[in-house]
Amino acid sequence: MNDVNAVDDVVRRAQHGDVDAFESLYRTHSAAIFALCRRMVGTDGEALDLVQDIFVRAWERLTTFRGQSSLATWLHRLGVNVVLEQMRSSKRDAARLLEGDDVTFGSRSPAGQIEARIDLDAALVQLPGGARTVFVLHDIEGYSHDEIAQMTGIAPGTARAQLWRARRALMRLLDL
Amino acid sequence: MIDAQSHLTEEERHAHAEGSLPAERVPLIEAHLRECAECAGDVARIRTLMTRIHDSPAPTAAPLDELWPSIRTRIENSKVVPLSPYAIRIEGRRRARGVGAAIMMAAAVVIAAVVWRARATADRVASSASSSETTSLIAVADSAHAYEEQAQTLLNQLELRRSMLRPEAVVAIDHDLRVVDSAIAELKEAIAHDPNNPALRRLLASSYRQKVDVLKRVGNAG
Repeated sequence: MNDVNAVDDVVRRAQHGDVDAFESLYRTHSAAIFALCRRMVGTDGEALDLVQDIFVRAWERLTTFRGQSSLATWLHRLGVNVVLEQMRSSKRDAARLLEGDDVTFGSRSPAGQIEARIDLDAALVQLPGGARTVFVLHDIEGYSHDEIAQMTGIAPGTARAQLWRARRALMRLLDL
Repeated sequence: MIDAQSHLTEEERHAHAEGSLPAERVPLIEAHLRECAECAGDVARIRTLMTRIHDSPAPTAAPLDELWPSIRTRIENSKVVPLSPYAIRIEGRRRARGVGAAIMMAAAVVIAAVVWRARATADRVASSASSSETTSLIAVADSAHAYEEQAQTLLNQLELRRSMLRPEAVVAIDHDLRVVDSAIAELKEAIAHDPNNPALRRLLASSYRQKVDVLKRVGNAG
């Protein structure tokens, strides 16, 4: 059995209720899903909670996976939706997601509170939810503005503006 | 032509940096960048950011493996039929809605069992369990057995206390137990037709666990 068929077989067994097969899928894909969550929400704790939610949801909906895309792509899209739902459930994040942020962000804190060179993930945490979401979805995960607009409910133009503001903030935070 | 004084727009800078400008616009933008150090420097910084993003390692978390047991538990719990909390019923709140939900969910289990049984009848000859499925089946069967024993113990305790309960509470408890027992009976029948089906086994274990939950609520309500 080649690798593709082996993967298909694991997916098929999981779709038929084999939890051990699903565990195998979890071990293959959980790191990528965690990375997505961690970058979207900014903290390890929240990201780990979301990883659980995403894989529980994936189990519930696995029978809807028809193999038109790769399982990684399917899981990824499901993961984005779960994260966005979680953000919408929080009034604060929902407002940020839908309306954008009027607060100044990405400016350096005084007196060296932020080190001169911080890594990308630490810089991402400094961004407000809406800008971070659009930046992660577009520049890291590769979704188009139209796709982001569809997923988040914001206008494509708003998504573009959020992306530019996020990039500017990151350039300041990363000393570029 | 974009002159050196007017500068590129924010959209043009980002679009050029990420390579999403329409092809016919590119020569104009590049001509401007050759003349304007400010715009050229800015586009270069945006590109540097994008390079850094692509080169940045994905964040990792050590305890990802440790998450699996709780995910597995949640998966198995998601099969549980949520019956109406007895304590709520004792207080007389939301009784009708709770029981209605219980009946609907239990009915869903029964329907699922019937569907599984029909499918099993068609597929019985072809079905065979892999070694991992067999291991899973044994674990789930053990789980069902443990819940069944626990349910019987609690049921015995209930019988001892039955005369001390209010009549309407007894009626409600008996009703919930009948619903769960009906689901269990259907599932046992379906398993008899498809003994290697792990999903059916999990449903059965969940139904027993549901019965245990009902009986525990009775005990906790005192």
